[in-house]
Amino acid sequence: MSDEPAADPIADLIARCAATDRAAFRTLYRDSSAKLMGVLLRILKERSEAEDALQEVYTRVWLRAGRYDPAKGRGMTWMIAIARNLAIDRLRARPAPSSDDGLEFVQDSAPRAETRLIAMGEARRMSDCFATLEPDRADAVRGAYLTGLSYVELAARHAVPLNTMRTWLRRSLLKLKECLDT
Amino acid sequence: MTDAPLSQRDADDAEAAEYVLGVQDLAERSASEARLRRDPAFAGMVAAWETRLGGMNDGFAEAPAPNLMPAIEARLFPKAAVRPRQGLTLWRWLSGATVAAVVFLVGMAMLVPPQAGLVARLATADERLAYEVRQFGDTLQVTRVAGVPAVQGRVHELWVIAPGAAPVSLGLLDDAELVVTYPRPPAGWTMAVSIEPEGGSPIGTPTGPVILAVEIGTET
Repeated sequence: MSDEPAADPIADLIARCAATDRAAFRTLYRDSSAKLMGVLLRILKERSEAEDALQEVYTRVWLRAGRYDPAKGRGMTWMIAIARNLAIDRLRARPAPSSDDGLEFVQDSAPRAETRLIAMGEARRMSDCFATLEPDRADAVRGAYLTGLSYVELAARHAVPLNTMRTWLRRSLLKLKECLDT
Repeated sequence: MTDAPLSQRDADDAEAAEYVLGVQDLAERSASEARLRRDPAFAGMVAAWETRLGGMNDGFAEAPAPNLMPAIEARLFPKAAVRPRQGLTLWRWLSGATVAAVVFLVGMAMLVPPQAGLVARLATADERLAYEVRQFGDTLQVTRVAGVPAVQGRVHELWVIAPGAAPVSLGLLDDAELVVTYPRPPAGWTMAVSIEPEGGSPIGTPTGPVILAVEIGTET
């Protein structure tokens, strides 16, 4: 697996939340809300909905703090997973847009900028493994992770049938896993 | 393109990856969420993918967030003096139910004389969705008085939750009025409505977002 955990102040704060330390909860919000807001805004696109979701995320963080296991990952990774899950649930639960709207939705993101960002920090290994994928498939994986694109939207964006996109992505994910777990 | 079918293990792992990635449609996603709760091996795969794909988290730029703590604390810690332990237990349950957009209206339930009928009123703050629970003899009758049923393929499910206990489903709320043989829940119990896959929660406790919840009133 990866390196031994360095100091993880976010993980410590989550542990204190599990012990119902409300002061720690406030500190956790202060230290992590900008990142989670970034996640929610990126996926949900609308600030008012993102702010509403942010309240829900911290509600869940407080209630689930006891289930967080620092041995399994960094505190911020755990919190971002909660935020992404909620954002994508909300995205998928939105009333289906007309097919025209769906296409508009697809156009907005900027995979090139992500390619650059991905190369930073602990994501270096990720970046190396992405390099083993064909570029358009790597873009599809990133587009889904960072902006919440669905299979339907990805298929439209890459102009391939839905089932082809599904096959592509599944193979790419398993290939990515093989690289990351090695 | 390789078209050889995936092994069962790879197919399960791919489903876990698709779930974490978020590419599934609503029905597939809710199926995976249901599986997540009943299949520990699958849950382990999902956790592993959350860590793996977490390598992309640097791609999320920070965005300034307003201080929403007062609102968050108001939702989590309603009326600190009133049975705090029970409140916590309730929230644990609602949390297990993937609370999204919870509208928690403590004290909105109306305490009325037992024969007068109204047991509880569950409504969003903006009154776009509202249910009334009335008692008739040994039955509870639940009527939607505002709003519409859940979207196609989903259903509203009504739960009653005793202090410290698991939620109990009282039935599904669609176009028909729900009549169920059940006693009047005492003060301090909670009634809640969640959104579930068509056919109701597959696992016996709320799996979808809890959209309405009300504690049966102690105050008049």
